[in-house]
Amino acid sequence: MATERELDAFLRGVEKRAFKRTYYHVRNEESALDIVQDSMMKLAEHYGHKSPEELPMLFQRILSNATLDWFRRQKTRNALFTQLGDFDGPEGDGEFDVLEALLANSDNPQQESSQSQAERAQILHAIEQEIQNLPTRQREAFLMRYWEELDLAETASAMGCSQGSVKTHCSRAVGALAKALRSKGINS
Amino acid sequence: MNISSDTNGPAGQTEARFGVRIAARLEDGLRDLPHNITERLRAGRMRALSKRRVTQIQLETVLAGAQSASGSLDAQTPGFWTRASALLPLLALVLGLMAIGVLQDQERAYELAEVDAELLTADLPPTAYTDPGFLQYLKKSAQE
Repeated sequence: MATERELDAFLRGVEKRAFKRTYYHVRNEESALDIVQDSMMKLAEHYGHKSPEELPMLFQRILSNATLDWFRRQKTRNALFTQLGDFDGPEGDGEFDVLEALLANSDNPQQESSQSQAERAQILHAIEQEIQNLPTRQREAFLMRYWEELDLAETASAMGCSQGSVKTHCSRAVGALAKALRSKGINS
Repeated sequence: MNISSDTNGPAGQTEARFGVRIAARLEDGLRDLPHNITERLRAGRMRALSKRRVTQIQLETVLAGAQSASGSLDAQTPGFWTRASALLPLLALVLGLMAIGVLQDQERAYELAEVDAELLTADLPPTAYTDPGFLQYLKKSAQE
């Protein structure tokens, strides 16, 4: 059973990411804050007795459900699930060339260290914008896999889909992001 | 991190590297979250923790209650007062039923006494009601 200190440490570690992820989905600060707070309350109230190892997955599920509930309340559920981009995103070998090029450029430490704070903020803003432009499922899969560092099985479980779908969503998300950032002249 | 273990082939590795780099940028951006946002998140976390405290206290109270109940049932040699206190509600129920019975008997006796008194003090003697002619007269007058 997680102690209060462990629960506090866990929530402290995930709250900012949870807020940002939710914000990318709902695009409203107030709503994102409400959803995250709601999720934290639910976790503490119903799953506070679980072991610390179980908390990350439980929290991801609660947060996803809370976000979905928000969309339901906003009566935009259909819009959430019928984005055509979920199913027919751009594909092709060309994307990997773009990726390779982006990575090759960005692997240069000198270039990275010379980036000013303003530049970094600008790049972050562009990345955030492109992430918000991703179809919902692609965004969810990408953020869970690479930001929350969940493995394939965990992401699939949290998203309620197969591991193959997670791979597809992630791959398309990476492709779309790489292409969009390249077009803006940004090396991630 | 368990990302690279899930990715197959060079294309998968490239994707994973790109994803990790983007995630690093996003993580970096968390440091610049406005103060009001971080404060609201902190307040939300505090509320969640206090909610957990309340839930835990409720759970402990319920468990303690259940434990003490099962403890008293499991006790092999309960003392005289424990047994007596367990019998008290039953005793109260029996006494209550007895009191209700006595009251009902009394009430019935009063009702009968009232009827008798009325019969005895009426103008007609009680034997009149056993006279078939008189009963016929009463029936006819009631029909009219």
